Amino acid sequence: MSEKNDLFTLAEFDERESEHIAAPRYSYWKSVWRTFVSNKFVVAVCIFMIIVVLFAMIQPMFSHYDPMYAPNINDPSSKFLGPSSEHLFGTDNIGRDLFDAVWAGARNSLIIGFGCTLINMILGIIVGAIWGFSKKVDVWMIEVYNVVSNVPFLLLAMILSYVLGSGFKSLIFIMCVTNWIYVAYFIRTQVMIIRDREYNLASKCLGTSTWTIITKNILPYLISVIMTYISREIPSNISYEVFLSYLGLGLGQQNASLGRMISAYTSYMTGYPHLFWIPVSLLAIISVSLYLVGQALADASDPRTHR
Amino acid sequence: MAEKKIILSAKDIEVKFRVRDNYLNAIRGVSLDLYDGETFAIVGESGSGKSVFTKTFTGMLESNGQVTNGSVMYNGKDLTKLTTDKDWEGIRGAKIATIFQDPMTSLNPIRTIGSQITEVIVKHQKVSGEEAKKQAIDIMNRVGIIDAAKRFDEYPFQYSGGMRQRIVIAIALSCHPEILICDEPTTALDVTIQAQIIDLIKELQKEFKFTTVYITHDLGVVANVADRVGVMYGGQIVEIGNVEEIFYEPAHPYTWALLSSLPQLGVKGQDLSYIAGTPPSLYNVIKGDAFAPRNKYALKIDFEQEPPFFKITDTHYAKTWLLDPRAPKIEKPEAIRNLHEKIAAMTSKGGAYYVEQ
Amino acid sequence: MSNNKEVLLSVRGVDISFDKGGKKPFRAVKNANFDIYRGETFSLVGESGSGKTTIGRAIMRINELSKGEIYFKGKKISGKISKEDDREVIRSIQMIFQDPAASLNERANIEYCVSEGLYNFHLYKDEKDRIAKVDKALEDVGLLPEHKSRYPHEFSGGQRQRVGIARAMIMEPELIVADEPISALDVSIRAQVLNLMNKLKEEKGLTYLFIAHDLSVVRFISDRIAVIHLGRIVEIAETEELFKHPLHPYTISLLSAVPMPDPQIEKPKKHVVYDESKRDHSGEKPILQEIRPGHLVFANDREMKEYEAKLQEMEKLEASDK
Repeated sequence: MSEKNDLFTLAEFDERESEHIAAPRYSYWKSVWRTFVSNKFVVAVCIFMIIVVLFAMIQPMFSHYDPMYAPNINDPSSKFLGPSSEHLFGTDNIGRDLFDAVWAGARNSLIIGFGCTLINMILGIIVGAIWGFSKKVDVWMIEVYNVVSNVPFLLLAMILSYVLGSGFKSLIFIMCVTNWIYVAYFIRTQVMIIRDREYNLASKCLGTSTWTIITKNILPYLISVIMTYISREIPSNISYEVFLSYLGLGLGQQNASLGRMISAYTSYMTGYPHLFWIPVSLLAIISVSLYLVGQALADASDPRTHR
Repeated sequence: MAEKKIILSAKDIEVKFRVRDNYLNAIRGVSLDLYDGETFAIVGESGSGKSVFTKTFTGMLESNGQVTNGSVMYNGKDLTKLTTDKDWEGIRGAKIATIFQDPMTSLNPIRTIGSQITEVIVKHQKVSGEEAKKQAIDIMNRVGIIDAAKRFDEYPFQYSGGMRQRIVIAIALSCHPEILICDEPTTALDVTIQAQIIDLIKELQKEFKFTTVYITHDLGVVANVADRVGVMYGGQIVEIGNVEEIFYEPAHPYTWALLSSLPQLGVKGQDLSYIAGTPPSLYNVIKGDAFAPRNKYALKIDFEQEPPFFKITDTHYAKTWLLDPRAPKIEKPEAIRNLHEKIAAMTSKGGAYYVEQ
Repeated sequence: MSNNKEVLLSVRGVDISFDKGGKKPFRAVKNANFDIYRGETFSLVGESGSGKTTIGRAIMRINELSKGEIYFKGKKISGKISKEDDREVIRSIQMIFQDPAASLNERANIEYCVSEGLYNFHLYKDEKDRIAKVDKALEDVGLLPEHKSRYPHEFSGGQRQRVGIARAMIMEPELIVADEPISALDVSIRAQVLNLMNKLKEEKGLTYLFIAHDLSVVRFISDRIAVIHLGRIVEIAETEELFKHPLHPYTISLLSAVPMPDPQIEKPKKHVVYDESKRDHSGEKPILQEIRPGHLVFANDREMKEYEAKLQEMEKLEASDK
């Protein structure tokens, strides 16, 4: 048989051959990573953000900045200095170094922002998952929620700060005592949306326990929405700290705070604008970059963006 | 057939979708002449491109899709050249209307059924509101809505799935289209409702004299509705012919496989025949015959070279190397030999599907 | 023939109602009665809204009954039962779902999906044994061991449905409730799934409750068929008997709706439309009663007489043909 005619013979047929999946292997977290790093701008923002955060954490360890310590308070020549090589951001009304002050303030803001977010998210996710899954829990949790959400937060913050005094721990307490319930409510709604999907029914028919259904079936679906929530929550907690401290309800005299600084330097806005604008800018830079990176992570963790 | 008037003519259509950085070759060179007044059925699995192909007739491709080659001639116009909604005015929805699988894609859930029908009538026929309402109730009656005047002011959620599909048909017909594209209109419906909707479309076609393009994955439905059939696989038509030719003299191994996998032909105690594997990924460039990897009767050449269309009769063509004179003689599978005799036995007195008429 | 067979599942006078926000509760299932024998495929055929899925889910203990009982191997499994019984029932009765895309956990790989039941009941000696069982289950449904690390969305519809079958089979159940397992699939791959279900039934001695809306599929797979309409079982018979002697007008309408792949026969065919509201409701209340051994039809005495006459005529014709 010539080679040409050989083409017209039956080829071998293997049924199993057609079961192979040609596409490369899929891994959720790898795809999240790939999608995230594919956005060069966000990667740049992320690196910048990491540098800023690390710097804010490390710099105060060396500067030992203490807002109560102002050795130059009686030396007029070291007050209101403009930025120079000695004082990168200049000095303030009582001769404190602004560079040291804003980083120490940023450090506290970051610790409170991340800490409160962590506590609220953990509490909120655990409670919200149970709340959304159990119809019995829902009945009375929704009442608790209605009561709590109708108490004005500022009023509560004022009362609590009088009772507890100002300070680091009491501020974290104030910012967590009721706020987790909003996270929980959000998670509850999300859980309810996917609770009755057929694959959860299928798991139930296989005898899977409620706890495993929550952790294996439901929470993995929520990674993306939780990431979105966190990316809004961290900057908003940082702003909250600043806001409360600005009102005098947050950190006290003894703690460095961007909020207190902004509040104290507002009066010098016309004479010495750098005193006001530098802490405000740092706050904006940190918030915006955290938000951008968080949103990008949230997008990347949504499988619909994977390919 | 030669003296029949061609109403729409698609030539060498290619459609690509941009999906992120990749191109999906959804339609890979399809030509089709549609004759006035006929019912042409397009059969294929999901992903074969049957829906995408007909969307080029109405310019309803998703925004990431594009006709990259070919033309669709209708009324002296090349439809692939039309871009804006204004260009399409008077054609889409008016001369060429579509009925989709899910009636809710075409109905507005928060407006009454009546207002949705009258809106279309007013828009296309420029009549008064009162006249439009009269026409709307007429057509609702015509598509089998009992108590049409009373149900005129109800909302879509108050209608059952089958009734909603009737309304969609009513809306499509209210502007007297020349071509009606039915995109799996009964797939989501129950079998008895499916039968009623098919009967309805056939009746209306007789009355309104439109041309129907019927898209489905169920050959049983095709036998009922079609005059001619195109079988699609992997973005191409692989066999085309009169409905009798496709059912009694199929030539393409994919058509064989589709036919013989119907459970109606199953014999109890024996396995049904089926098509193994999955349809080809149209992201890849396809070498040879797209069906070859799933084809029990594939020749070696099927993996090398794309087969051309072989002419069987004036109306019947198939794209398979099996029709090449050099190919071995292969008979179609046992399950679909003498198809008519088998089914005649099943549906006559004493057969399993005999129904007293 | 049914007398000497073991009854595996028994549905007795079951009513299922759903509350519809204050209004009169909606009766999805009305007084359902049937038995499923060990080793048979019993099909429940009806349209959407007929209550067929509701019955299937009641057997799975997802839906609660408002009246009646369900017995499995002679033991009551409806209502409140002990924890051990509950686990026993879960293991012995498994379900295959309609939509394979919706019923698999998209964030878990196939290995977890198939192992889920094994984990819950610790049905394996060690990790090696578990992997071996998963490989075997995948092989049984025609999938490959390499698929273990894949995710559901990477599979085609037919493959996904076979994953769904594998995860039910690995539990070594006695009864499988298959809720329209092929209606979401393309016609071309339905056959493969049906063959597979038949093969597994033979190999493992399973019993199926097969829920469907299409008589053509059901004829191929089932031993007995119950036709259900608006929550009411209207006819039960062995498959051949039901196709040969369909009595209830709704069964006839379903039968005529099956599209036949033959244009010369299909085109002139007239569909029989069944309209409940146009039936003659005179006479006493209808009940599901036996007209021939094993053939039950929902009728009152007057209708019974009509059916009896019709049946005798059909039987006479068949006898004369021979």
